[in-house]
Amino acid sequence: MPLAHASSAVHAQNATPGFLANPGRAPTSVTVHPVALFTILDHYLRRTDAQERVIGTLLGTRADTGEIEVKSAFAVLHSETAEQVAVDMEYHHAMYELHHKVNPKEVIVGWYSTGSNLNTYSALIQNFYSQETAPHQAVHLALNTGAEGGEGAGVKAYISSPVGVSPKPENCVFTPIPCELTFKEAERSGLDLLTSVAQGSTDPYPAADLDILERALDTVSNMLDRVLSYVRSVLAGEVKGDAAVGRYLMNTFGASTEDLDKGSFNASLQDTLMVSYLANLVRSQAQVSSRLALTRAS
Amino acid sequence: MAAAIAASLPAPQAAPTPAAPTYEAIPASMSKAIDLEADIPLTSVQLDGMVVSKIIKHAREAQGTSAHGMLLGLDLDGTLEVSNCFPLPHHLGDDEDKSAKGLARYQTSMLRSLKEVQADDNVVGFYQAMSLGSFYNQSLVDTQAIQQERLRHGGIILVHDITRTARGNASFRAFRLTRAFLDAYKRNNFSADSLISHRLTFSSILEEIPIKIRTNPLLGAFLETLSEQSPFPVSNSHPASSQASVALPPSFSVLNLGTSSVTKNLEQIIEAMDAYKTEEGNIAYNQRQIAREKTKADAYVVKRKEDNAVRVSQGLAPLPEEDISRLFRIPPEPSRLESMMLLGRIDSYSKTLEETSSAGLVKMYAARGTANV
Repeated sequence: MPLAHASSAVHAQNATPGFLANPGRAPTSVTVHPVALFTILDHYLRRTDAQERVIGTLLGTRADTGEIEVKSAFAVLHSETAEQVAVDMEYHHAMYELHHKVNPKEVIVGWYSTGSNLNTYSALIQNFYSQETAPHQAVHLALNTGAEGGEGAGVKAYISSPVGVSPKPENCVFTPIPCELTFKEAERSGLDLLTSVAQGSTDPYPAADLDILERALDTVSNMLDRVLSYVRSVLAGEVKGDAAVGRYLMNTFGASTEDLDKGSFNASLQDTLMVSYLANLVRSQAQVSSRLALTRAS
Repeated sequence: MAAAIAASLPAPQAAPTPAAPTYEAIPASMSKAIDLEADIPLTSVQLDGMVVSKIIKHAREAQGTSAHGMLLGLDLDGTLEVSNCFPLPHHLGDDEDKSAKGLARYQTSMLRSLKEVQADDNVVGFYQAMSLGSFYNQSLVDTQAIQQERLRHGGIILVHDITRTARGNASFRAFRLTRAFLDAYKRNNFSADSLISHRLTFSSILEEIPIKIRTNPLLGAFLETLSEQSPFPVSNSHPASSQASVALPPSFSVLNLGTSSVTKNLEQIIEAMDAYKTEEGNIAYNQRQIAREKTKADAYVVKRKEDNAVRVSQGLAPLPEEDISRLFRIPPEPSRLESMMLLGRIDSYSKTLEETSSAGLVKMYAARGTANV
């Protein structure tokens, strides 16, 4: 699930293990949890007039494979002027302590900023965060909010390496690394909810289970229509068939439905009805009992 | 150009003498919406997209149903806008006193930190994760009743159902304590009489407030980009290519036939019923105890009266009337709060079960329809 439009940048891996000054594998890819993204967007909305971009700390976990999972983020105060850049390090440390209390597994993995320009100040901040994440490398997440004209919304991830004959903190090369959105399937429904709200749906909340089921079935039905029209056009010879698609269709539709034969269906149906009946019975008993508690013994 | 990063923000240059703040007159259109005394009752709760995702993440990662945290926001003209939230740590210290202090310190420093980055720092309530639709428990009600005095509008409780969310229907509900319950709670009296006079059942402990979900335009636009489908005519299309790079592919977890949670649900109901039965037994025992002591006391009083009558007829001075409450210890009437909570739990468990099974029924028939084709 890529987060930005494909770029022509080569994801060059400049990190040969053992060749680097710092141990541990260099980050090879970044996955971002929606919470982190939403926090960044919220921070951007709450910036002061004087701020052109906002920065903050990314928290997450590192895997041995060099994959970094960004799980949450928090805002950090900073100021940029023509002369200098300042980051409130005290605030950063205090906030990290607080987050650490709730979620000890999440550590500092890097920092974010909004907007897509990487400048000298970015290099300086990157240098600071590299010290925070040492011995690991810090990642930089540049989130384009899409609020500025001409640029689409998207997220890019970078790692840095020093450049020049005598490396200085204000000089570094930002190398892009792949960045994807990731979340657990259980959290999926929350995102669905937000998406439907964002698209201006006026469905009452909370939605009934059956409404959601209906929507899913509608989508499936649409997909079947699409596949059907494709298959028809292949059969009619209008389009050349794709063997891979055919194999996928075969696997999907050839799925066994034997366990749904007559006998077990009825048994299962009876079980479900029984459970439903019991649930209703228990509920009415509970209601009656609570009313009975309100009567005076006479 | 600076070659190093400054460790702290530069002090504001020569702070100008603070001019006396000028207050603008409140525009007429807003004067109705502004209430300093929290007079306008809450009619709905508005959840920000970030809050939704934060709570879902916290609830999933925390073990069991222990996830809880605070909600921050503002109320405006009857709508409580929840714009941020933060989780509370589960275990801070070993002993009770220390952890309570640590929790308070955690809250204040978190609120101060959030204020510094221009986030809302006004506590409006709590959130709590639950599973299978049941959230009635004593500690929840206790916390809420304590907060009642401190927060505007008494604060709300936002409950999030983990199991329902995992089934594909993100579930949030907002509640607040009812007046009748608060009254009984303040008097710390949940005897049968008190319940009758307050008309309290489990369903009238909490009243539900309708929820609206809101995504700010920036978030909306971003989500739109993520789930953007490449424009695609239905006919003459290649199905494979329609799976273009979409960050949010459609999900079909709702169609899962799985009824795995039913067993757990049934177990929970049985557990709650057992607990309820024990509690009922306790109350009955207490009541028998009370009745026995009362009979004893009454018998004593009657006997004393008869004795006195005899003594008077014999011309002796009557024995002094003694305080019966000293001689016989009549236990206080048992609190029915716990049993009420348990009934509420049973009710919500069975409601969840009922909903699961009715949706399951529909899915089963749908699956059979497909199988028969």
